[in-house]
Amino acid sequence: MPTAIVTQLNGHVVQVRLASETTDTTAPAALESTATETEAVATEAGATETTAATTAPNPIAATPNELAWTAGSFLVLFVIMRYFLFPRLKKATDARYASIRANVEGADQVKSDARSAVAEYEAALAAVQAEAAGRIDAARQTLDNERTAQLAQVNARIAAARAEAEAATAQARAAAQSQIATAVATVVTRAAELATGRKPDASTVDATVKSVMESAVTR
Amino acid sequence: MEAISMLVSAAAEKDPNTTGSGLTALGAGLAYGFAAIGPALGIGNLVGKSVEAMARQPEAAGMVRTTMFLGIAFTEALALIGFVVFILLKFA
Amino acid sequence: MLALEFPEINSLLVWKNLFDGVGFNKIALIAVLATTISSLLFFFATRKATSDAPRGARNLAEVIVDFIEDGVIMQTMGKEGLAWTPFLLTMFLFIYLCNVPGIIPFFQMPATARMAVPMFLAGLVWVVFNATGIKHQGPVGYLKSVLFPPGVPKALYILVTPIELISTFLVRPFSLAVRLFANMLAGHILLVTFALLSEALFQAKDKALIPVGILPFIMLVFLTSFEVLVAFLQAYIFAMLTAVYIGGAAHPEH
Repeated sequence: MPTAIVTQLNGHVVQVRLASETTDTTAPAALESTATETEAVATEAGATETTAATTAPNPIAATPNELAWTAGSFLVLFVIMRYFLFPRLKKATDARYASIRANVEGADQVKSDARSAVAEYEAALAAVQAEAAGRIDAARQTLDNERTAQLAQVNARIAAARAEAEAATAQARAAAQSQIATAVATVVTRAAELATGRKPDASTVDATVKSVMESAVTR
Repeated sequence: MEAISMLVSAAAEKDPNTTGSGLTALGAGLAYGFAAIGPALGIGNLVGKSVEAMARQPEAAGMVRTTMFLGIAFTEALALIGFVVFILLKFA
Repeated sequence: MLALEFPEINSLLVWKNLFDGVGFNKIALIAVLATTISSLLFFFATRKATSDAPRGARNLAEVIVDFIEDGVIMQTMGKEGLAWTPFLLTMFLFIYLCNVPGIIPFFQMPATARMAVPMFLAGLVWVVFNATGIKHQGPVGYLKSVLFPPGVPKALYILVTPIELISTFLVRPFSLAVRLFANMLAGHILLVTFALLSEALFQAKDKALIPVGILPFIMLVFLTSFEVLVAFLQAYIFAMLTAVYIGGAAHPEH
């Protein structure tokens, strides 16, 4: 879009050629329209037309219409914000924060409940474990007792059997010795009879045989 | 800066024969130029010290930043008054 | 060299009325649009209350409110200043939406670059902070706390009192208005300058000059993004200074 700005200051026309040759066509028109002793007239083709009347407005002065529109807009916005929109926003925000806080507190409650349940469970577990350990100990004790009893019984039986065997052996040996002694005595008596022609005294023979045998046995 | 010099030269070109206008333009340029010196030093010093403080104590960075912006606002006002004086001298 | 002449400044700032009679020009249009957009944003934000995470307009509105509460009020006035949230929120939104048309195509004019807008806002702030001081401390107490700040040696009051009088009642509103106005005006003039320069160079008769036009154009793009920042920063600073003044008037010991 061609844009041309024509400026006139103190009756001194300055032409501005920015975009196209339209400057040349608008310049005379602007010159004619503001040929009086206007201080400054700004013309922007297509956007802004003549704004200044007799004197140029101070660029940093506040104009009443702008002031009024600003004040009106700001105050309207402030009233709307203060009395309608902000309280509604704040209410919703507070409600949300409250619900979040309630949720957090509920979660805390649930957490502490769970924690106490866990503690309960652990206590029960410990009790059960103690009981089980007691039972195991008792069972072990019983087992031990039974084993010792059985062991003792078996040992006793073995000892009895051994004693019996020993007795039998001793008896057998005694029997054998007496048989041997009888035999030896018979032999000795016969031999003495043959040698002396007289039957030796049985008791003497017996005593002699016995002493010899005992010495032999001890030797 | 370019804007300023361009405005000044534009002002000088418009009425090259009038000494008053030229002097006004010169005064306008000088008004802004001189007004910018102090705040420039001030803001440089201020921001430098603030950065130093923030680097030393990053946990206080938020507070330092707020105070820094306040300080910049107060310091910068001087330069801006110079700018307004320039606009006043030049256009009003 | 170039057929370039900076246009008369009023052609950049003074806009003709859109309608006859009511003085409704571009600045008024921007002001009305600022009100409309802010109201619509908060209207859509509050249309339906939800307990879910906020989305869309509600999210944006809550971010802005949080920014005002945490970034402006809590930093300057403390917890008791939260009652001022609607005022400062309105202030911030209105100024921001008046600043931002300076870089929006077809508007290309910050409403705050016209003195009427900052002057009205600064005057309003002046009235509000003085009224707050009088309400909280009474007329005499307020004047006393302003003109005779505690902790100053008695002899220095000869010096301090006139300075405080001028700085509180004259310099504050003046600098508040001028800061916003001059920032936006300077940004506007800079943008115009570089836009004119690039246009003139791009359409130069001498073909060798055409590539040079890219330089002011780059500067124009950079300045436009800079103005995005400035538009926000000036609204923020204005709101923050308002909070500081009101907070100082309500609680002079700070």
